[in-house]
Amino acid sequence: MSMSVKDRLATNKTKLSKKPHITVETDICDTTCTHKCTTRVCPAKCFEIVNDKMAFQYEDCIECGTCLHACDQGAVSWKFPESGHGITFRLG
Amino acid sequence: MEDEKFDCIIVGGGVAGCAAAKVLADNNMKILLVEKGEWTGSKNVSGGVLYGPTPWEIFPELKNTLENPPFERFINRRRLSFMSDDSSFSIDYKSQKYDNVPYNGVSVLRSKFDRWLGEQVEESIAKSDFAEDSFVATEVMVEELIIKDGKVCGIRAGEDEFESDCVILAEGVNSLLTRSIGLQKEIVDAKYVATGIKEVWQYDQDLLEAKFQLDGLEGVSNEFVGCTKGIEGGGFLYTNKDSISLGLVLGIKDLRDSNETVYDLLDSFKDHTSIKPLLKGGKMVEYSAHVVPVGDIDMIPKQLYTDGAVVVGDAAGLVLNTGKSIEGMNLAMESGRQAALAIIEAKKKRDFSKASLKSYQDRLSESYVMKDLRNFQGAFHFIHNPDMFKKYPDLVNSIMNDVFLVDGQEKKKTRDIIKKAVDESDLSYWDLMKTSIQGGLSL
Ligand SMILES: Cc1cc2nc3c(=O)[nH]c(=O)nc-3n(C[C@H](O)[C@H](O)[C@H](O)COP(=O)(O)OP(=O)(O)OC[C@H]3O[C@@H](n4cnc5c(N)ncnc54)[C@H](O)[C@@H]3O)c2cc1C
Ligand code: SF4
Ligand code: SF4
Repeated sequence: MSMSVKDRLATNKTKLSKKPHITVETDICDTTCTHKCTTRVCPAKCFEIVNDKMAFQYEDCIECGTCLHACDQGAVSWKFPESGHGITFRLG
Repeated sequence: MEDEKFDCIIVGGGVAGCAAAKVLADNNMKILLVEKGEWTGSKNVSGGVLYGPTPWEIFPELKNTLENPPFERFINRRRLSFMSDDSSFSIDYKSQKYDNVPYNGVSVLRSKFDRWLGEQVEESIAKSDFAEDSFVATEVMVEELIIKDGKVCGIRAGEDEFESDCVILAEGVNSLLTRSIGLQKEIVDAKYVATGIKEVWQYDQDLLEAKFQLDGLEGVSNEFVGCTKGIEGGGFLYTNKDSISLGLVLGIKDLRDSNETVYDLLDSFKDHTSIKPLLKGGKMVEYSAHVVPVGDIDMIPKQLYTDGAVVVGDAAGLVLNTGKSIEGMNLAMESGRQAALAIIEAKKKRDFSKASLKSYQDRLSESYVMKDLRNFQGAFHFIHNPDMFKKYPDLVNSIMNDVFLVDGQEKKKTRDIIKKAVDESDLSYWDLMKTSIQGGLSL
């Protein structure tokens, strides 16, 4: 039954903006953050640890707002994608 | 339209914003409804069952759509299931009393439903005196509120600025604008919000109706407790026309403090013996997620208005969690209506000051929105006892297992079954007594 997050995300339509709408101060992730919870709570797997360092990508983001509320270290600067961009759900 | 001033700008084409815009347009106000998505609803996610008469009152056209409704099914069967790892125990209620308009609840897919709401707003605009001067604008993301002399008097989106006597903030739970003017705290604590993660599975409609025992437009809603590995929250499964919506709602603070991963939790829910067979013959067609307020009244700003602006729906944290289900959409629509009515009065007085817009909060306090929220806070805290998400569902299933077990041994009496189950759980009789008394008082 298990499907990869990539395959799940492939069911959605996104118009990608060139500008990242979310930015992460990964220095904070790599130094002071002990729980790194965003790697577990982001439903789109936008936060991953690669070679012991936080790697964030906004491209797969589905604009849910979880990281905006989950990060308690002040590392996430959160905005919506610019007008006309980002996720479109057909069903929702 | 740049130099035209609107009576009211509504930010957000979700259920709250569309409800407010509809009431304003029906009352001949000059409005601008702004939505950042491709269409109203295109970025929105709910479980979701929309409960009660509010949508039918604000959008009476709904009752003329029953041949091909913008909602999915009316809910006349409700199930609540307590899950342990390998078992589940359900309470199941179906009644024909729920078969008539206005339905007690209807399942919705927001991208379809809110789109219809937006179209209705356009129809109301077309019938108003401002057919040429009121608008529903999509693919416009409001970046900033324009503030002059401490009063909100418009919006900025990219290069464009639009002025208005007042603004309704219907922007949902990720309420950047509401926070920017201090109506909500800049940082909303994780304990006040949950993340909802959801999949839609599509079936051949006949197969779906056979699987879920549905006739015509009727549908079933099923909530689940005990499927979240002890994390605050629960599961849901709702039938749509030819699909089901299923997913989990998970408290963000608990998630942060755990080692769990949201999609793994969703997978283990879908693998449960009472869910897995339901998915056979279906196809996963959409994956989505959205934050939702958990229903704690402490998240709601003390003041829902300021000079030139009011805040409605999820942006104001107006979600009711009774333990049976989440009610966010109906509260959002009702708050949208009350805000619109307050603004119609303000326009008559030509006074959009704080003192005048306070009438929105007064109206909301008198409506079922705040009454229910106040009355159910006890229930909310009762079900937020951490044991509710794991130990109690396990206990119920352990009792039921022994009740139904036939193992060639002498049968145990119910009293002994309960004693054994309680002894095996880490709950004490004191916990049980406390919980049943609290439950009795609060629910
Ligand atoms: C998984 C899940 C299950 C749920 N189940 C149920 C349920 O079964 N029943 C129920 O009643 N409730 C349910 N809810 C809660 C319900 O979804 C919300 O309470 C409801 O959507 C709130 O409506 P709203 O209009 O206030 O906000 P939203 O629906 O979030 O709408 C906000 C709108 O504003 C737009 N917007 C935001 N910012 C801007 C901007 N700057 N510029 C332009 N547009 C902007 C957004 O694109 C969006 O269209 C559920 C929620 C989730 C996540
Ligand atoms: S919780 Fe915040 S600081 Fe910690 S890893 Fe995630 S983004 Fe970085
Ligand atoms: S908003 Fe949601 S999907 Fe986007 S990065 Fe944050 S948690 Fe992930």
